Amino acid sequence: MRARIVDKNDILKIVDILRKDHEVIAPFQGRGRDSFFDVVTDANRDQVKMHLHNPYYPPKRYVLPHIEKLFDIDQAKMDVKAAYVEPKRAIFGIRSCDVHGIYHLDRFYLGRDYKDPYYERLRRGLFLVNVVCTDKELDIDNGCFCMCANTGPASTEHFDLQLMDLGDVYMAVAGSPKGEALFADPIFKRGDDSHVQRRRSILNEVRKHFKLAVNWYSAAVRYITTGQVPEELWAQVGNRCLECGACTYLCPACTCFTVADRKVDGKVVERVRLWDSCALSGFTRMAGGHNPRRAVHDRRNRRFFRKLAHYFVQRELSMACVGCGRCIDVCHGDIGMPSVVEIIRRGCAGKENDSTIIKR
Amino acid sequence: MTQPSSNDKNIYLPKVAILDRVQDEIQEVKTFFWHFENPADQEEFKKFRPGQFAQVSIFSQGEFPASLPPSPTEKETFFTVRTVGSVTSGLHQLKAGDKFAVRGPYGNGFPMEQYYGRNLVFVAGGIGLIPLRSCIIYALANRDRYKKIQVFYGSRSPRELMYTQNLREWEKIEGFEFYTTVDRGDADWKGNVGVVGSLFKKPDVKVPVENTTAFVCGPPIMFRFVIKDLKDMGFHDRDIVSTLERYMKCGVGKCGHCCIGMAYVCTDGPVFTYEQIKKLGEDI
Ligand SMILES: Cc1cc2nc3c(=O)[nH]c(=O)nc-3n(C[C@H](O)[C@H](O)[C@H](O)COP(=O)(O)OP(=O)(O)OC[C@H]3O[C@@H](n4cnc5c(N)ncnc54)[C@H](O)[C@@H]3O)c2cc1C
Ligand code: SF4
Ligand code: SF4
Ligand code: FES
Repeated sequence: MRARIVDKNDILKIVDILRKDHEVIAPFQGRGRDSFFDVVTDANRDQVKMHLHNPYYPPKRYVLPHIEKLFDIDQAKMDVKAAYVEPKRAIFGIRSCDVHGIYHLDRFYLGRDYKDPYYERLRRGLFLVNVVCTDKELDIDNGCFCMCANTGPASTEHFDLQLMDLGDVYMAVAGSPKGEALFADPIFKRGDDSHVQRRRSILNEVRKHFKLAVNWYSAAVRYITTGQVPEELWAQVGNRCLECGACTYLCPACTCFTVADRKVDGKVVERVRLWDSCALSGFTRMAGGHNPRRAVHDRRNRRFFRKLAHYFVQRELSMACVGCGRCIDVCHGDIGMPSVVEIIRRGCAGKENDSTIIKR
Repeated sequence: MTQPSSNDKNIYLPKVAILDRVQDEIQEVKTFFWHFENPADQEEFKKFRPGQFAQVSIFSQGEFPASLPPSPTEKETFFTVRTVGSVTSGLHQLKAGDKFAVRGPYGNGFPMEQYYGRNLVFVAGGIGLIPLRSCIIYALANRDRYKKIQVFYGSRSPRELMYTQNLREWEKIEGFEFYTTVDRGDADWKGNVGVVGSLFKKPDVKVPVENTTAFVCGPPIMFRFVIKDLKDMGFHDRDIVSTLERYMKCGVGKCGHCCIGMAYVCTDGPVFTYEQIKKLGEDI
């Protein structure tokens, strides 16, 4: 991978370069912990933040909007038109975990037999500028566990350009030909070995500041895949779910949606898709009221099963949890991903033949 | 042939269909004969396999999955649909000549070629006959490919027997064993009374177990009892096949609604062997 050095004072010039032919999205600081992604304008350009708490509302909405029009339908003429949009857009300051979230969506929506044409169009023109999490106070939250998910704090792939704060300068790494093309601009200067050394020592230091650095994913994956999680454990998890759906809406790797038709005026109908959640009881209800996933714990079971069963990890060649920690913060019942992994690990550990653990 | 447009690769694009005629089946259930407005769409669609399904659109109401009761060996395309809610009743309100929209076919379907040289036993309860009708007609059209063919069909009452014209024909075919039963008879009913499994025990009925595939479709309660009967007869789990019904929004493995245990019913199913169903790890 090619790398360059950018002076700290020049860093937002990358936003300016991208803005010439992209709509640029970047993170901004709200009140308190709150932060958000927004379109960069002349007015807010100087407020773009390099270090801040990762916004709860994930950038996945730029490839999978929470409400997305699929078709414009003229009912009288029976004319159906795909409502495609294909923006040229860049997300500046996307975190490593969220970069992997988008990669997971790529695998899911484009990597299988049926390619999603809406996702494809939103994704095609999307340029990702990843910022490495280096600020111990601001970037790394209590819930961050990208190290366990193997996605952060510095992603090694799936971005177009990656920026890492080295103190007075940033290191810029190109992850794609499009990213490398930016190096033509004079703000990108050649670096030397000392920059590489600095990058390494900063990352080593940063890694020590994760509260959740050891997570027992692999054990949980094994217990779930081999069906060793007892019903009582699932019930224990399910009983803590308030069925609000927040964990799924905020998850950068959740993919489910529902579809609805809405009348615009007398003759015109829009078919739209909306984010949906397996936490909600209507999700699997069938005509006639038969709901195969009736109990709450069956539905919670679903979320973790879908994310952690080896079969699904293999199917997408990517895991549906990228370790961003959002579901931890947002869950009223404390059943974010790490808690559940822990509940499963503790609940199952004693029941398994210990020698198999040692062997692995 | 129409020009390919950017719409063509859209996996969610419903294509315009014209309703030819409507046939009453039983209370709340009708059969809708239709064809695509564009002949190229029709030709493409006709490559479907027994056991596949399609997504039916009534614009402004929405979309729903419906099995394909016709066999690809038949000329006409049609759906048999019960009114249960908004989209299905939207379809029921259409008249001959009206337009709606269809996309598909979707799902794996029954691997009918794999069953060449085997006995086929079909067990249908109520509207479970809808997906099985396709296989039965297909098997009859390829009669020499299969050994013994038996159909067991049960409904609540004589008035709830569907596809009556087919049933009358089936009764007359030599070398094709067809049995019906009803939970409750009426004054005119001379046939068997009892659940569908009761047919297996009749003295003149001999269900082959060796080299046989059993197809079971019907309401969950019927499914459980029939499975038990078949297991008692000695059927292996992998020789029992069924179709699963799930709330579906997309039909193409994206929306997540149909996901059950390890499978997306819309793309991995809806046809599963009982052996697979047991491994899915979730209630059906
Ligand atoms: C693979 C497959 C094949 C099928 N084949 C047939 C068939 O050949 N013939 C047939 O009659 N039916 C078939 N069904 C069932 C059929 O799809 C449902 O009856 C239909 O979706 C109901 O839609 P609706 O809009 O009329 O009901 P709605 O108005 O949406 O709802 C009716 C009731 O069911 C619940 N519900 C809401 N949305 C749905 C939904 N999409 N599906 C089920 N329940 C819902 C609601 O809570 C409400 O109580 C099939 C289903 C599947 C999955
Ligand atoms: S999970 Fe890792 S990559 Fe994501 S915000 Fe936290 S530290 Fe950064
Ligand atoms: S499951 Fe939780 S931690 Fe994992 S990606 Fe989703 S929101 Fe982030
Ligand atoms: S119906 Fe959408 S994933 Fe199966």
